[in-house]
Amino acid sequence: MFHWLEQRPFFFAVVLFLTVAFAGFIEAIPDFAKASQPIAGLKPHTVLQLAGRQVYIKDNCLSCHSQLIRPFKSETDRYGMYSLSGEYAYDRPFLWGSKRTGPDLHRVGNYRTTEWHENHMMNPQSVVPGSLMPSYKHQFTNMADLATAYANANTQKQLFHVPYDQKGMPKLGSWKEAEAAAKAEAKLVAADMKNQAVKDAVAKGQVPEIVALIAYLNSLK
Amino acid sequence: MKKMVIGGIILVVVLMAATFFIAGDAFQGDDYINALTMLGALAIISITIATALKYVNQIKNDTATGELADENWDGIGEYKNPIPSGWGLIFIGTIVWMFWYFFIGYPTNQFSQIGQYNEEVVENNAKFAKVWKNPSDETLVNIGESVFLVQCAPCHGVDAEGIDGKAQDLTHRLSKEQVLYTIKNGAQGHGYNAGAMPPMMATGADAEAIATYIAGGMKGEAPASFATCAGCHGADGKGMNGMAPNLAGYDNTLVSKVLEHGKKSSIGTMPSFKGRINETQTKALTKFINSIQAGE
Repeated sequence: MFHWLEQRPFFFAVVLFLTVAFAGFIEAIPDFAKASQPIAGLKPHTVLQLAGRQVYIKDNCLSCHSQLIRPFKSETDRYGMYSLSGEYAYDRPFLWGSKRTGPDLHRVGNYRTTEWHENHMMNPQSVVPGSLMPSYKHQFTNMADLATAYANANTQKQLFHVPYDQKGMPKLGSWKEAEAAAKAEAKLVAADMKNQAVKDAVAKGQVPEIVALIAYLNSLK
Repeated sequence: MKKMVIGGIILVVVLMAATFFIAGDAFQGDDYINALTMLGALAIISITIATALKYVNQIKNDTATGELADENWDGIGEYKNPIPSGWGLIFIGTIVWMFWYFFIGYPTNQFSQIGQYNEEVVENNAKFAKVWKNPSDETLVNIGESVFLVQCAPCHGVDAEGIDGKAQDLTHRLSKEQVLYTIKNGAQGHGYNAGAMPPMMATGADAEAIATYIAGGMKGEAPASFATCAGCHGADGKGMNGMAPNLAGYDNTLVSKVLEHGKKSSIGTMPSFKGRINETQTKALTKFINSIQAGE
């Protein structure tokens, strides 16, 4: 029996691969198919939040912050309810992160406020003594890229069927409508902020990066 | 050979002793994982050394014997060398187990990560309730401080003074500006039986007098206009047993209501901490906040 196998190494390798692959397949697929469905009540990000998400990616927040709360008491005590796969269904790309130099941010919108983020981004040590985080002052003067955020949302809608423009979901509409909606949303965020330069810019119809980023962080719940 | 065996035993003992010397304190406590790890390390070291000795011995003393198999490759033959029967049995056993695991074991297993988490939470809550059943005041202050440093300090600051006005200064109850702001704007959504406080219940000099009186710690004679406040907050300003917020100090009702409902005030917005801080911890926070009140 073994002589017969020894004489057919290619056949043996293929059969071995199929056997191992089948085992992995039947363990992974059923769970994956179920868990990757969006959870009830999940909404895709608005254009302003997506612009903030791009700031989050651009300034590389995810190399120090995760967005994935594991089901351990020690984590849920600090960060809130553990994360479910379905919560990331509309995230492209997902921002789970793999390293926590800073704390997890998956539900930071539940326990931090606009004012806090504003102080923290300007000077992290002013609110968290001894913090390692650098300050992100440039976010107060750089403008967020709403056009790319709109393109991002529109691509997700067309290509991946993310449910924008459906009943009870964020409205996307045309670029003009989306731009106006994002600027209106930015005004709501800026109303809670203290930095006069940012408030003036938003009043003029501009959207500094910090406003978009705070809108995104507040949406993480 | 004898020398090698003795050397091997000495090496095992030295390695184990060194590990115990470096990490021995990890065995204190009720966590059996460390002991299990140590046992594993002992097994690995002993098996490695025993195996090495066996083969060194074999290389030294063994000669080739046995019956040659039929195949030979360019004159190089192979002894008939059947697999050890124990190994063969385990191999066949594994195949049988595979069918069981494919069709019965895996599909019907009851393990769930979330179930394990739920058990952990129940166990932890029971332990928490048992350990902190009747905590002394000192223990409560310590618990309160720990909770404060994790949950509250990011906004209120490690010294609880509110980081230069970015959040409520918890070493004082109310400042004059805060009282004036609330009198002017009213207050709502804090979850008290007395309901919302309407704006503009007092104005001008009356409001000034009330604010000065409350910010001063409610010492001495109350101004006549305070009667408006006393209707809900009580003549002593302590909130009539939880009907309305306590104006004189931080009591348990005030702390738990603010944690539950959050707060929007002249300073900014505080998010709700509902479900994040349990009853004992709330009580502990109240004790801690009271322990750091600034004196006269």
